Amino acid sequence: MRRKRPGGKTRHIQDLDVQGQLYGKILRSTRVHAKIKRIDTSKAKALSGVHAVITAADVPYQRPIGVAKDHFPLKTDRVRSLRDEIAAVAAETEAIAEAALKLIRVEYEDLPILADPNDSLKPDAPLIHPEPHGATAKHDHLKQAQGIAYLGKPDNVAMTFDYAQGDVAAGERESDVVFEDTFHLHYVTHCCMGVSGIIAEFDSSGNLLMYSNTQVPFLHKREFAEILNMDPARIRIIQPPIGGGFGSKLDIYPFEPITVFLAKATGRPVKLVFTREEEFLASPTRQPVILTLRSGCKKDGTLTFRTVNTLHDNGAYTSWGATTPFVMMQTISSLYRVPHCLYHTKAVYTNNPYAGSFRGYGNLQATFAVEQHMDMMAEAVGMDPLAFRLKNAQDPGEVTPQGMHFKSCGLKECLTTAAEASGFLAKSTANAAERGKPGRFKRGIGIASMLHVGGGAKIYPSDGCGTILKMDDFGSVTLITGASEIGQGSETVLAQLVCEELGLPISAVRVVNNDTEITPWDVGVHASRTTFIAGNSAIGAAKKARGKILAAAGKMADLNPDALDLRGGHIVETKSGKVVMTLAKLLRQLHFSDKAELVMTSFYYEPPSKHQDKHFKGDVSAAYAWATQVVEVEVDTDTGIVRLLKVTGAHDVGRVLNRLGLEGQIEGGIVMGQGYALTEELMVENGVVRNPGFRDYKLVTAPEIPEMDVRFIETMDGEGPQGAKGVGEAPAICIAAATANAICNATGVRIMALPFTPEKVYRALKQHH
Amino acid sequence: MSQQAINFTLNGVPTRVSVPVDMSALEMIRNVTGLTGTKYGCGEGECGACTILLDGVSLNSCLLFAVECDGRQVTTIEGLASDPLGLRIEKAFVEAGAVQCGFCTPGMVVQARQLLQDNPHPTREEIQRGIEGNLCRCTGYVKIIDAIEAIAVGKES
Amino acid sequence: MTALDNYVAPTSLEEAVEQLLELGEVTILAGGTDLMPQANAGRVKFKRTLMNIRRIPELRGIAREGDEIRIGALATISEIMAHPLVREHLPLLVSAGDHFASNQIRNAGTLGGNVCNASPAGDTLVPLMVLGASVELASMLDDKLYRRTMHLPEFFVGPGKTRLATAELLAAVRIPVPPQGFVARFHKFGTRPALDISAISIGVGGVLKNGMFTDVRVAFGAVAPTPVCGCATEEALEGKKLDAATIAAAAVAARDEVHPISDVRASDWYRKEMIHNMTKRILEDVSTSH
Repeated sequence: MRRKRPGGKTRHIQDLDVQGQLYGKILRSTRVHAKIKRIDTSKAKALSGVHAVITAADVPYQRPIGVAKDHFPLKTDRVRSLRDEIAAVAAETEAIAEAALKLIRVEYEDLPILADPNDSLKPDAPLIHPEPHGATAKHDHLKQAQGIAYLGKPDNVAMTFDYAQGDVAAGERESDVVFEDTFHLHYVTHCCMGVSGIIAEFDSSGNLLMYSNTQVPFLHKREFAEILNMDPARIRIIQPPIGGGFGSKLDIYPFEPITVFLAKATGRPVKLVFTREEEFLASPTRQPVILTLRSGCKKDGTLTFRTVNTLHDNGAYTSWGATTPFVMMQTISSLYRVPHCLYHTKAVYTNNPYAGSFRGYGNLQATFAVEQHMDMMAEAVGMDPLAFRLKNAQDPGEVTPQGMHFKSCGLKECLTTAAEASGFLAKSTANAAERGKPGRFKRGIGIASMLHVGGGAKIYPSDGCGTILKMDDFGSVTLITGASEIGQGSETVLAQLVCEELGLPISAVRVVNNDTEITPWDVGVHASRTTFIAGNSAIGAAKKARGKILAAAGKMADLNPDALDLRGGHIVETKSGKVVMTLAKLLRQLHFSDKAELVMTSFYYEPPSKHQDKHFKGDVSAAYAWATQVVEVEVDTDTGIVRLLKVTGAHDVGRVLNRLGLEGQIEGGIVMGQGYALTEELMVENGVVRNPGFRDYKLVTAPEIPEMDVRFIETMDGEGPQGAKGVGEAPAICIAAATANAICNATGVRIMALPFTPEKVYRALKQHH
Repeated sequence: MSQQAINFTLNGVPTRVSVPVDMSALEMIRNVTGLTGTKYGCGEGECGACTILLDGVSLNSCLLFAVECDGRQVTTIEGLASDPLGLRIEKAFVEAGAVQCGFCTPGMVVQARQLLQDNPHPTREEIQRGIEGNLCRCTGYVKIIDAIEAIAVGKES
Repeated sequence: MTALDNYVAPTSLEEAVEQLLELGEVTILAGGTDLMPQANAGRVKFKRTLMNIRRIPELRGIAREGDEIRIGALATISEIMAHPLVREHLPLLVSAGDHFASNQIRNAGTLGGNVCNASPAGDTLVPLMVLGASVELASMLDDKLYRRTMHLPEFFVGPGKTRLATAELLAAVRIPVPPQGFVARFHKFGTRPALDISAISIGVGGVLKNGMFTDVRVAFGAVAPTPVCGCATEEALEGKKLDAATIAAAAVAARDEVHPISDVRASDWYRKEMIHNMTKRILEDVSTSH
């Protein structure tokens, strides 16, 4: 059994200790935006038990990190946000390291703060990343470095995305109904229950070993090599069990190279673990977005066009959050059939926290806007929300104008299943009729759907995963996969796929997936890709093993291998089920024979879908996941408190591989979506996070969860492992949109900003009346 | 910082340690006695990952001063390995699929034990209230509630 | 800066107050549920001595003494909620306890700690004020154990500040047994059943007889630096029949007499609105309670 046991023996990274380790701590900026005039570390260095105190000056070799290489781990001349790393300490205990931090003196010269992305675009706005002055000695070595140079920016625009299909003006001319609204999406953060941590050490030959919770170990090996100017072959990453991921471990953050610098400076292993407050301040957020959507349809309900302009608050540095428009535009262009689309995004620098990747990757934001407009247009043309969506929903086989090819597509079935199971239409009508009547509590029901990648994602030049499968002489299998487990249950699914091929009980398979020195290459855990890509890879290896076993058995028993099968740890005759021999016995014999070769390797690469061109046209995934969620709420009009009563979800998952695991992913995603919609908000005021703790950053607790009714739609994707598609991100995506529609159904009030806190809802109700 | 020698029973084993007087029981359990099943999640009693039993009553070890353990019985998740109800809960968690990343799990199991000890047949709503001090970011709580309910209604597999 | 360098765990009240007098700079440890996070966050600095008062039997127990119920300072919220005397005479404390943090914190947190922590949002404080509670304070006077009592509203000075003297220990909370016909309600505003710092809280108590509401006590939490009495609201209710007009007037009086601040939990405007709406709701509930 590979499933984690609850007995407290799972050792997460926080629980690991390495002989001789020191403890690292980071000194962070107390200013939001300032020049660093002077750093005095002398007192800290003199403290007994302190082994190293480092600043940027001590690591002239450091290279910028992140998606746009705009971020030095240790800040050189200025701080751009409150979390910025100024110095780091390695000491014999955490308490000594903390005491040392307090002895470091920093002199700042404050700079004007950019806290609103709109201000960042003003012509006279201060620059967050001004270009370095000339080719100063300080930056010389960086400019020489290959492809990794910190060059600064002449403006505050971190990234832009522009996409166009058809002619939106023509689309608007055909429209009978047009809406334009601006939606405001807020900051939330991952809140992994296990805080961030890393252990770094160099061995006697100078090889670097990191215990890290990264979701992308192989990509990070390469990136660390660049940052540290090392040979990637000398970097090894071991991934201890992770205390939650959700996208947060997709990028390299300053604390990781800083810990390596400390290990280098001290010649000792260094462990660095965040406090919860640090986790709130210094780990990434979901991208906050201001999204203006203009959309139209004809009287008969046919969608005509969509124009979208979004402004993303990038924060002070660029991580994956800046690239979420890549996903957002898919929802805009292809969740429903829209002939004409125009999409523009600017991600701009501010002095706020910076955004990373987070389960759903921009799709929660895009869906929030698109699905509210769907309801508004339906109402305007006198159609019910379900019929309006069905009219515009995608069908299997469709290739959208953006170039996405939906080989399997269960959207219409998702819509009808979720609507019927929840009694959507009848409740929606009944609730609307109750709106004007007296009474404190109002019920509402809302619907929303989503489209997300479900068969890998062409984010990198390829999307592949390798598997090594070895069989021992007792009939047990070791599955060595490149795919990491981040709590999503991939180990179980992969083991199960192998078991089904080899006719073994699940207890016969062990999964090894946590050491770059051992496991074959993989792109990493993201984009709901593991089941699909690593699953296909594992099946490939298992099929090879199966072929080999049956051939050997046939030879040994003098039977046709094609007439044999593997069942329950035995080789049997397929038709009669008669046992030919036990698998263990066969394997033992094979191990003692020449050229048995009971190690299989296989690699799976996403089938050749065309890479998107530079205009973002083309297929991005081998398969797409679909879902519809219906949310029922109760609004307390005296307080503005919105209670989530029930969520009915219909998910096109391709095929159900592991029902319990699948349900667990969906339920967890629904509650994460609930938090996004109702309770969670990282409050950032003038660059300062006001609520860095669970006391005022409210995760949903057990008594608050809604009743859930989750249905699976099996569309049996032709490319998926046994027909399955990815599902990890899907369940979190529609909840906020459906909740918005439900609140409107209950009260007649449409709120276009998240989260739906009691005060925001109450205020909106007051203004309405 | 003054150190204080204390004696207590840790999972049934008489234990003597010397701790700084401002140290939390969580730090003592993890760093002094080396039992890492009790997790640090927030340090302010908001997440329940550090839940232990003190004289058989559940509380957040991050809020408890280590010195307060003097003369008392401390039970951590590791100690439930020799507790019949604890073992049943652990098994039910596995069967129900209640463990995803596993970080909140030890605290959940210890709190579930408190809940089932106080009220052997809680309703679903009582279960939800019983674990309201334990945060989980992966599961959406459903499978955890299912696991505890399985014991409450005697439907363990 | 003095560092924490001494730990004492007295085993009697007399010993404790003696040591308090002797040692001077002492931080009191009861349940620890507030002290530990406040110390970690640097909001509280440890004094030279940490005094663990949990080994003092006189601070435990819940008992009836004449017309009062005396709850020892060390009674945990869970113990209070389960105690038959409390359940019989002070159901308001049971319902308030149900909103208090989480099971784990209710098992550790003490009534004395919640009172001495003097948070404007302290969950037991508003109900205790509505019940007319007093605090019993112990100290050494002329080599003898001396006790004085003080009404709760007088005890609070500001956030985390009370009239507890340096060498004084809160020994118990004393609550008069409510008279016949006494009804009381506590409302803690929040989106969850518990584990929530209230944005506002309201307590109302009084004797309801023949439709008339008398001996009215009203208290509000999280609208001022301390929990406060709602004197104007009391006035609007005292001796009145709890009809729609009285309730409406009282709700307006409540809104007008509080002066909350804006913070991460709510704006001042919303707090006032909620004081109004929830006062109204509570009173409507009280009026239909018989």
